[in-house]
Amino acid sequence: MNKRSNHLASDSISMRHRLSWQRFAILWNLLFSLIAGYAAQPTESPPAFLTKDGYAIPQPGHRFTFPNDHGNHPEFKLEWWYVTGHLRTQGVRRFGFQATFFREAGPKQPLESENSKNFAHRPFYLGHMALLDVGEGRFLHQSRLNRSGWDAGSVSNRLDVWNGNWRLTGMDKNVNPKWNESSQLELRLAGSIRGDAILDLQLTPEKPLVIFGTNGVSRKADSSSAASYYLTFSRLAAKGSIVLGGESLAVEGLAWMDHEISSGQLGDGQVGWDWACLQLNDGRDIMTYRLRNSDGSTDPNSSLTWVNPEGATTPVGPEKFRWRATRTWKSPISSAKYPNWVRIETTDPVSGKPISLDLEPLAEQQELIDELSGIAYWEGGCRVRDADGRDIGQAFLELTGYSASLASRLK
Amino acid sequence: MMPPPPSQGPDCSRLGGTTAVGLGRLLFLRFTLRHWRRSPRQAALLVILLSLGIGVYFSVRLANRAAVTSFRDFTELITSQSDWVLTAPMGSLPEGVLTEIRQKLGNRPVVIVPVVETTASPPRGGSDTAIASGLTYTVYGIDLVAIRNGAPPGSAGTSWLGQGNSPEAFWSAFQNPRSVFISERLAQRQQLKVGSLLPVIVLEQLVNLEVAGIIPPAPGRPEPPETLLVMDLPALQTLTGKQGRLDRVELLAEAGFGDAARRASIRQELDGMAANRWTITTPTDRRAAGETMTRAFRLNLTLLSLIALMVGLYLVFQALDGAVVRRREEIAILRSLGVEERSIYKAWLNEALILGILGGALGLGIGWLGAQGAVQLVGRTVNALYYANSVNSAQLTAGESIGAFVLSISASLLAGWWPARVAAQTPPAQVLVRHRTPTGSRNRRLRTLIGLAFALGSVLLTLLPPYRVDAGFRIPVAGYAAAFFGVMGAGLCCGELVRWAARACARIGTASVSAKLALSQLRVGSGRHDLAAASLVWAVAMTSGMAILVASFDSTMRGWIGRTFQADLYVSSAGAQSASSQNRISPTTWRPIVNHPGVLDAQVIQVADVRLAEGPTMLVGVDLAFIRRHQALAWLSAPPESFFDTDLNEGMALASESFLERFQKKLGDTVDVPTPGGIRHLRISGTFADYGNERGSLTIDRHHMVDWVQDELATSLILNLQPGTSAETVRSELLAQFPGLQVFTNGHLRTELLRIFRQTFSITYALELIGMVVAVAGLALTLVSVLLERRSELTTLRALGMSPKNIAASTAWEGGLLAAVGSLTGLVVSLALGALLVYVINKQAFGWTLQFAVPWTQMAALGCLVTFSATAAAYAVGRWGSFLPSDRDE
Repeated sequence: MNKRSNHLASDSISMRHRLSWQRFAILWNLLFSLIAGYAAQPTESPPAFLTKDGYAIPQPGHRFTFPNDHGNHPEFKLEWWYVTGHLRTQGVRRFGFQATFFREAGPKQPLESENSKNFAHRPFYLGHMALLDVGEGRFLHQSRLNRSGWDAGSVSNRLDVWNGNWRLTGMDKNVNPKWNESSQLELRLAGSIRGDAILDLQLTPEKPLVIFGTNGVSRKADSSSAASYYLTFSRLAAKGSIVLGGESLAVEGLAWMDHEISSGQLGDGQVGWDWACLQLNDGRDIMTYRLRNSDGSTDPNSSLTWVNPEGATTPVGPEKFRWRATRTWKSPISSAKYPNWVRIETTDPVSGKPISLDLEPLAEQQELIDELSGIAYWEGGCRVRDADGRDIGQAFLELTGYSASLASRLK
Repeated sequence: MMPPPPSQGPDCSRLGGTTAVGLGRLLFLRFTLRHWRRSPRQAALLVILLSLGIGVYFSVRLANRAAVTSFRDFTELITSQSDWVLTAPMGSLPEGVLTEIRQKLGNRPVVIVPVVETTASPPRGGSDTAIASGLTYTVYGIDLVAIRNGAPPGSAGTSWLGQGNSPEAFWSAFQNPRSVFISERLAQRQQLKVGSLLPVIVLEQLVNLEVAGIIPPAPGRPEPPETLLVMDLPALQTLTGKQGRLDRVELLAEAGFGDAARRASIRQELDGMAANRWTITTPTDRRAAGETMTRAFRLNLTLLSLIALMVGLYLVFQALDGAVVRRREEIAILRSLGVEERSIYKAWLNEALILGILGGALGLGIGWLGAQGAVQLVGRTVNALYYANSVNSAQLTAGESIGAFVLSISASLLAGWWPARVAAQTPPAQVLVRHRTPTGSRNRRLRTLIGLAFALGSVLLTLLPPYRVDAGFRIPVAGYAAAFFGVMGAGLCCGELVRWAARACARIGTASVSAKLALSQLRVGSGRHDLAAASLVWAVAMTSGMAILVASFDSTMRGWIGRTFQADLYVSSAGAQSASSQNRISPTTWRPIVNHPGVLDAQVIQVADVRLAEGPTMLVGVDLAFIRRHQALAWLSAPPESFFDTDLNEGMALASESFLERFQKKLGDTVDVPTPGGIRHLRISGTFADYGNERGSLTIDRHHMVDWVQDELATSLILNLQPGTSAETVRSELLAQFPGLQVFTNGHLRTELLRIFRQTFSITYALELIGMVVAVAGLALTLVSVLLERRSELTTLRALGMSPKNIAASTAWEGGLLAAVGSLTGLVVSLALGALLVYVINKQAFGWTLQFAVPWTQMAALGCLVTFSATAAAYAVGRWGSFLPSDRDE
């Protein structure tokens, strides 16, 4: 991957896309070794609208049509729907949750065997779901892999993706690119983490849908194929129930959702990244990430983006913010050392004054160890405090590449 | 066990200041152990005899246990043990059931595992044409992508996919329609590795599967058996023509809070959903069904093993009894020194106890070793007759070990009880007067009366019905008890018969001094004589009774085979090598065969397992016109003409005799058969004898069967050839064209059926032989004891001029007459026993009516053989006894 800071500074959102892609690609790699490169390699350069292995490349000027574009895009190789959030009961109990549905198309070579509708050879669906019970300090998580068919899939005309008993659906009223109408979309996330917890949440957008990138395309590198469509609901009102320990709890809170569509590839020289989404009490949201190079430096493509209460974005280049780890935590399971206490220093685009945002994990143990591969990463809920220590919001923090095996996979 | 006789002498609990405990120790060291040291080989022999009996029992128990515990769904070896299994009552399930279940269960945490299953066999060489002698693989079709989803947390282990450690290996593992995962055992045995080809017969097709990897091991799960093959589910669906169909769906409630309540709620949902369409069972239900199915088989094995134990005990008893006689002087000396009867009694029981401990310990070792071999035989039999199982080896369990050990000690104490009692009753004067203690006439009468009561009880027991276990399976417990009491009763009465015979012979008169002497001994008789005679009766009666059963079976089978198997060629998949085989012949293969120019007429047989409310059985679809043309069934009650009309016979069925017996149905009764299209009410319109299976079957018009199960896979074909066409030529043609088939000519099939039948009884023959040898050996040991008791008489006889030859002749007369009476009684009793086996036990257990056949020649030969060998053994003992020194001189 090229590292052109000038380019990415002008398009910081595309880096979020790259980040998301990498996050997905890593998870995918965990399972099947590196899937890039197994496809039949054509001897001639393919047209610009297709990748080498024949998948579509996001094109500028794409007219998004909703609800269709909330659904799947089988012409693209990779796609994922990612929801995180913070929930509270009427009392004092607090929870963090994460649910991710990945779609991987697999190689596009002809199949040797007959393709079954209920047990298709492609695409595959990978899922992760996690729940943090903050008061108990209990972190539950589960991963799941299914082939497209009777127990996993998605549709192309609306938001409906499922993996086992996990399901994310959008019950919308013909949401279209006119953002003021997007609030009509209502999402439902249902699932369980083994027999330990059952989630059932209604998610209602409180801000319009954000489409990151230039002219609808979030570009990751010079390569024409290194691009994606990147759609985000940065603030969703969450309401529903959690059944935990046999007790059914009514919960409310805020959630975040990404939907990315891509056929891109990993860049070279990176060993991992730190990513966070912040939802501040004043109605503003922040998405930020830091890409880490193998030589220990921070990749200049790292970025921070403000989303104001109306949904308008303000990207901030890497020179305008600082990501600093303030404390680390060593996992007793994987022995990975995660810098999960983070201070972000930047300038408030409204006041123009410097602002310091401290992310404090709601629990140290929010490490996910993928059961299908054994690979570990940290992804968990955090409090956000200002320089005076006041609680000013909530965040989700993602730290990858700290487990030795993951780092080796990245290389 | 009876208490020791009360002390008759003064209280001599102390001997020279020795306490009771000290006395016991002293007696053990100076009395018991000294003899063992003097005759270590004899002591070792006793221990070995007992340990062999215990070993046989223990090995059968372990093998049985292994066979039962191996009745697990193989899915458990691959993923996790399921909580519920959903199956169709007949045939397969549509894939749509998966979505229906998921929707019904909503977000309940349940892992749903669809399974397709079939069997396969390695191809066999052209010269190997034996039926049911090949290996049967169980092939599991599981979604290899989703396979780890049910894994418990923290159990990330070896992946199934990508074992070649490359992305290509991952994709090819499930995209290659011939990919198969095999067990480590199979890989080692056949030296297979990733990429190796494994040729197998699936359905009737010869297929080269490609090894994609080894079934990954998982901690806490049994090792997959050698016969387990795993494929990706859609690949196996395609291979077996089951596209869109599933054999079952396994469901696993993910572990978590409130398991019991959650499971109950899930079960309730499933039951509601399955009502009248599907069957939902738990692994416990399925295991119980497997246990029920094999209960009679396992009971028979256990009974046989107990016979082995009894044989061992009989010999131990004889040996201990002989030891009492040999050591009687010592006992008398001890008694005269003031040792109590109770102490003597305890010393002997202690000897039996130690024998039991040593025999038990050795027996456990022998049994465990034997079990490793027995488990394969039992597993193979269970596989061939009942279900596919994963039995690999017999595991040593604490419960079974303790049980066998306790049995060894108890049995040894039981065997030692009577000798101990005799020893304790030895009066101090015995040292001066050595002669046998004759059995009192009161005792003899009592014994005879008990024997007659046993015989009467035996008759009454035959009137009782069998014990019915689940699913129509039954065990003729009362029949077995009748056999036991009958033979025991005859044995108990035999002593009186021997004395009567001796008196009768004496009245006839003889010039031989030896014979007179022998008759005089037998006229008086003794407990030992009675026991020896009884054991001969038991051995001969059981052997001859079984011979009658086998002869009856043989004669009936021959008649049945002659009537039923008259066609020229019989065709089935070469993969069909066991009862659990699912190898069928697809229509694309059987159609050209039935249309072969050399084929005059053909029968296409289609068999489906069906689960009635009463229990599992088989539904057989046949071409009824063929049956009518060739009279191919052995009718017990022929059906009406309307049964052969497809337009009229949809609600009609033929029931096999075993079916009637098993489910207690009769002609005219209605049977509710669940089919994919709903419940069919079938009226039993005809009955026929079928010695091919004991589980029973319902036979219907195949036209309806095809409609119901929605497939035309044939289980077998029967071909009648055009006149003048060579069966061998057509067979060769078919085999060349369809290498996955096995084709038998009429003669070969008949030979094979009889071979299998005889093989079934081979273990019985072996046990009979052992029984006979032991009975004769027991007689010899009895005579040894008798002669030891009569040492003073022998001295006198020698002094009177009898030569060793005369004494040996006398003993031979004694043993010969005893054996002749015992054998004759045994043979007579065997006629009753044979009738009991044929008309009661066999009928109750299998539902088969057999023609009673008596193998007179075989029985006569048996009686003669026993008598002559017993006479010869007695002569040898007599010869040995004639040289015994007088005890007075010792």
